Formats: sequence, structure tokens, C-alpha cells
Amino acid sequence: MGQDTLIRNVLIPTAQILAVVLILPLLIAYLQLVERKVLGFMQARLAPRRVGWHGLLQPIADAVKLLIKEDVIPEKSDRFLFTLAPIATVIPALAALAVIPFAGAPFTVFGYEVKPFITDVNVALLYLLAISSLGIYGIILGGWASNSKYSLLGALRSSAQMISYEVPLGFAIIGVMMLAGSASMVDIVEAQRKAGVWYVVPQLVGFFCYFIAAIAETNRVPFDLPEAEAELVAGFHTEYSGMKFAFFFLAEYTNMIVVSCIATILFFGGWLRPLPNVESLWWLQNGWLILLPLTLGGFAGWLFGQRTGRGLPPMIAGGGIGAAAGAILAMSDLGGLASLSLPAVSGAFWFFFKVSLFLFMYIWFRGTYPRYRYDQLMALGWKWLIPLSVANVIVTGLAIVVKGAVQGRG
Amino acid sequence: MGATTRTVEAPRTTGAREILKTFLLLELWVGLWVTLKNQFRPHITVEYPKERVELSPRFRGIPRLRFHPESGEELCIACHLCETVCPDDCIHIVSEKKPDGKGKRLVSFEINLERCCFCGLCVDPCPTKPLTAIYMSHDYEMADFKRDAFVAPLKVLLNGVDPKDYKE
Repeated sequence: MGQDTLIRNVLIPTAQILAVVLILPLLIAYLQLVERKVLGFMQARLAPRRVGWHGLLQPIADAVKLLIKEDVIPEKSDRFLFTLAPIATVIPALAALAVIPFAGAPFTVFGYEVKPFITDVNVALLYLLAISSLGIYGIILGGWASNSKYSLLGALRSSAQMISYEVPLGFAIIGVMMLAGSASMVDIVEAQRKAGVWYVVPQLVGFFCYFIAAIAETNRVPFDLPEAEAELVAGFHTEYSGMKFAFFFLAEYTNMIVVSCIATILFFGGWLRPLPNVESLWWLQNGWLILLPLTLGGFAGWLFGQRTGRGLPPMIAGGGIGAAAGAILAMSDLGGLASLSLPAVSGAFWFFFKVSLFLFMYIWFRGTYPRYRYDQLMALGWKWLIPLSVANVIVTGLAIVVKGAVQGRG
Repeated sequence: MGATTRTVEAPRTTGAREILKTFLLLELWVGLWVTLKNQFRPHITVEYPKERVELSPRFRGIPRLRFHPESGEELCIACHLCETVCPDDCIHIVSEKKPDGKGKRLVSFEINLERCCFCGLCVDPCPTKPLTAIYMSHDYEMADFKRDAFVAPLKVLLNGVDPKDYKE
């Protein structure tokens, strides 16, 4: 009994936390490679190709470089705060992942039931808002402690921007909270299953506000003013190098992933398959068997098409071959693939599929849009997004009241 | 475009169509479509040390001296014309009388590549026929660690430096 409790309450959560914290840096390293590749292709360049096949080992090389690089601390900086700042940025970013459910159904390992999320608290959304606000401290501490004008200006811009955009972000989330009647991530997805529709449909305006505010929250293009390299060198991390820089980098990309995860859960049904209300599309539940090879094949064809100058056709061909192979595998059930089509696995697939689409959007925006000017950024936040998101909350509330009244009478 | 002319109208700032355009973020979508399409465009860059772009025949790289293509003798007759015409004063020639008394020959010929502006004016007055003794080569890799390396002596000018091969 004692041992059982120990495993259930200590060992499994520790293993879950370790899994998330250890896998995440690897994911981020490869996200960065994907970013460089996509940006390169959008600019008719080849992107990294030196290290490994098509540059596939580039992230590892970069990580090693950052680890062994000299860690410079400027002479006139505040040494304690300078060291504290990257830690204070990365911890809130990682802590936010604690409440993200990666899939719905639990799975069993050695007879113990493991849930595909670290924890499910009933104030998850409030927790996320609180934790993401804490990340500003690290940035402003880093900018201040560097004792450099560029760092300080970057940090000031960053904090002003993050505080301004937290308001529409919060209001955009409230709409979903009202519809679902809960702030727990799992409950929100379950509510979408019951409603039979992703909340992006009734909350389109809310999603729009959330997405723009989220890009601004994570300091990404077109709102990457804190690191406007033409004006501020690199913003708040100008003076940072080596591992400390890597921590800021990790935090930025973790925030990107967290924000995409939240968007997926709140507005795109988390781990639910597309059109969860249409019974006849049940096979989409295991769609990953086809979609995953399709994506991988398409990606390989894309790389090949770039290299050989053949453009789009190899990508279509690669995707087609992948899809065919996936379909054959799925139908012939080779190697007991049916056991892999557990609800947890297919749920995780749909979740990560949607999250990667969001991450692609981030990169796509970076390849497309020029940077906002500072006053334009503030004007967009305060004059457009905040009124829009408040209006969204009011309209949603009215709709719920009217619906309730109609149903109560009927 | 050819002979067709297009009249450009001043953009209208009012009207239902423009308002709709603004609120549907039409121009943002157009921008996204452009970058999405361009992802499938073949690359136009080359992987430099492994591949090199083809240079125009008129490309002016490091100036070099030439041997006679058949006899293999130095072509330069030490007339000092290139030294005279050089706007940067970067060519330095030392010559002596040939032992048989006919004409002059080179003792040393230096080009200071730190000063050279690669204008190619030294090639124009070169009197040797049919090939000029001095010519603008297609070498363009000039990085080095020491300043001495930028003063090219006669031997380097005649034989050139092999570009380092890129190893995979």
C-alpha cells in the first residue's frame, strides 16, 4: 500500500515532469531548424545543409556550441541579477507546461494508470495567465542588470508590450471560459466534445484576438520590437552569451509552444479529431496512421524539391507515397499497429498536429510581415484588440443569457 | 511589359469595398500567399565553397601576369606603362637591361593588393601582343591573416595561388 502510493504520487509525476522537461529542449532545437528551413525556402535559399543530411544535425551542433561557448558577464553588470534573469525567464515558461493536456485518454504503464498531462487543476487558465506574466520579470531583470542601453530599452519595450497585450489575451480567454463553464484545460476540451464543435466557430473573434495577442506576448514577428536588431542590436539579451543566452532562447520558444498549445486546447478542440460531432468520420480518430507518413513524405519531398530545383511536384509525390504507405500499413495491420491506435496515441497525434500548424503559422508570419513601429503596436493593442475582445466577452455573455432564457422557457 | 502602358489611379481611401478590405485583412492574406508560393520556388543560391557561380568573362579579380602560351617565357617587357597608369600607385616594378643588350627584363614586379581597386586600367596600356602580359584574373578569394600576404611578388603574380579545395 505504502509503495503503491509512493509510485502513484511521487514516481509517476516526477517521470512526467522529467519527460516534458527533457524532451522539450530537443523539440525546440528542431523547431528552430524547421524555422530556418522554412524561412530559407520562403526566400529561395537552401538553409542549413552542412551538418548532417540536409542539416538535420545542425540543432545538435548548435546546442554543443552554446554549451561550450564562453559565458561572458559584463564587468559593470549586476552579476547576481544578470545570472538570475535567464533562470527567472525559463522557469515560468517551463512551469506553464504543467497544466497542458497533451492527450485525453490515460494509458497504462506496468499496471499503473498514467495521465497524458502533469496535472489538471480547475484554475488552469488563471494559473497560465499568472505564470506567463512572471516571465516579464526575467526579461526586465536581464535588461536592467546588463547595464547597457540597448538591453534596457529592449527590456522596457518588451515589458510594455507584454503588459499591454496581456489584457486582450485575458479577455479573449474569458469568452471560452464562459462557454465551457470551467477554467480546467481538460474540462474545456470535454465541453467542446459535448458541444460537438470547436470553440473557434462560436469564438472566432476571440480566437483572432487571442492569436494576435499571443504573437505579441511571445515577442515574435511582426511584434518583435524588443529585439529589433536594426535599432537595439538584440534587445534585452544583447549582453548574454553561452548558456545564459540559450536559456532566453529556450524560454522564447517554450513560450511559443505553450501559447500554441493553449490556442489548440481553447479554440481547436485539443486532442479531439476534426468535426468531433460527425459520427461517420470516426476513422479520423486514427488518421495519424495516414497523416503522419503523409507529412513526413511531404517534408522529404519538399527538401528534395528545393535541392534539385523541381519545386512542388516532389513534395506532392512524397506526400502521396507516404499516405499510400500509411494506408497500406493501417489496413494490413503489420506489426500490431492496432495496438498503437490507442485513444491516447491518436489524441496526442491530433494535439501535436494542431500545435505544429500553429508553430508553422508563427514561422510563416516571420517570413512575411515587417515589424510594427512602437506606437503602431501600442495603438493596435489598446485601440483595437482590447475593445474588440471586450465586445466579444459582452456578446458571448448576452448569447449565453439569451440561449439560457429560451431553453428555460421551452 | 512591352509597349502597353498602365495608368495608375490614386488609391481610394473610402467606400464600402475599401472598408471590407481593411476588416478582412485582405492585404495580409495576399502577403501570406506570396510567401507560401515562394516556398516551392527552386533555390537560387549556391553552396559556396562546394559550388561556385560562373563568372562573367569580363570579371575583374586579382591582377596577374601571364607566361607566353607557347614558349612559356614571361610576356612582360618591363615597359612600366601599367605602373604609370595605375591610379592607386600600387604596382612597383624593378627592371634591368637584358644581358644581350636588347630590351629590358623584370627583376621584381609587386602589386600591393591592399591598395589595388581592381579597376583594370593597368591592362589597357599593356603593349605585348597578342596577349597582354598583365590581366585581370578570375581569382577573388583574398582573405589572409597577415598584411604581408597582400603584397603579391612576381612568383605569385605569375603562378597564382591555388584556391583551397573545400573538403566535405
